[in-house]
Amino acid sequence: MMSKAILLVSRHAPTDGSSARELLDIALAGGAFDLPISLLLLDDGVLQLAPHDFSLLQQKNLSANLQALALFGVEQIYAAERSLCERGLNTLNSTLPVQRLDDAAVSQLYRQHDVVITL
Amino acid sequence: MSSLDLADGSTLALDKDGFLADFNQWSPAAAQALAQLEGLALSEAHWQVIHLQRQFYATFELAPAMRPLVKFIAQQAGPELGNSLRLNQLFPGSPAKLSARLAGLPKPNNCL
Amino acid sequence: MSTTLHILSHSPFSDLRLSSCLRVLNADDALLLCGDAVLALQADTAHSAALELMPDSIGLFVLAEDLAARSFIDTVPARIRIVDYQAFVDLTLAFDKVNSWT
Repeated sequence: MMSKAILLVSRHAPTDGSSARELLDIALAGGAFDLPISLLLLDDGVLQLAPHDFSLLQQKNLSANLQALALFGVEQIYAAERSLCERGLNTLNSTLPVQRLDDAAVSQLYRQHDVVITL
Repeated sequence: MSSLDLADGSTLALDKDGFLADFNQWSPAAAQALAQLEGLALSEAHWQVIHLQRQFYATFELAPAMRPLVKFIAQQAGPELGNSLRLNQLFPGSPAKLSARLAGLPKPNNCL
Repeated sequence: MSTTLHILSHSPFSDLRLSSCLRVLNADDALLLCGDAVLALQADTAHSAALELMPDSIGLFVLAEDLAARSFIDTVPARIRIVDYQAFVDLTLAFDKVNSWT
């Protein structure tokens, strides 16, 4: 039986509580179990692509952890173009390989997945 | 267990699960001492895995689960070492966890 | 291709959930407002206007109890269906998946 396609939607900045971290943990755990997982960075979630000084924030390096997603089998990583533009990040050169999606493509992503989890 | 005695007489702090308290305090001698506790004789292949574990942690700042560890080792050292059968022979039982421990990584926060 | 029931429970005046959700909605999806998300129905606000402009194919629902608790909202657009908990449960089963904007 085909596993259900899971879309994880991350909507929070790394500096905004533990939501970004918790969603990444779900992605890594799901990936380790070989579940078909896609990750969408939406709204403030796109700030996870921008550099932060995690030692000043006194938390684990979320950027470094995100780089591990591919090794955990999570290779479909998307960012909402609109969210990037709204935050002045449209020219951001992220080290994470993300596909940028316009509004229609974001909607389409929701349609294509069997399960959606938003944090 | 709260500390590890090394061959040169020095000691290193361990956490409550027997993992090195500080990643940066690791040395080959520490790996030797930890291996001895596990009754493991370290071969060249063991050392290769241990160094790749440290490289993984230095890059991604997390301890890998089995699947990503296999993938990473296969990428870095080829499929001969980077496969779960081989890793199970080298580090019997729970290869990702055991090799992480010998490599001085903190305890993986999930047991995948 | 699968349909989604989106559930919002946060005030649309303090964050972007409602705006983002309205953009994400596909033609045969639905949106249920509960908790402070009910505030989106307040008359003469940009949010209630945006809801009224949504295509007819998109179901818009509000949880009766949470609406009643905010009794200052005395009228809701005819476009919005008021549902009780039982109907809420039925809704979750009528769509392929449920997405809570937590």
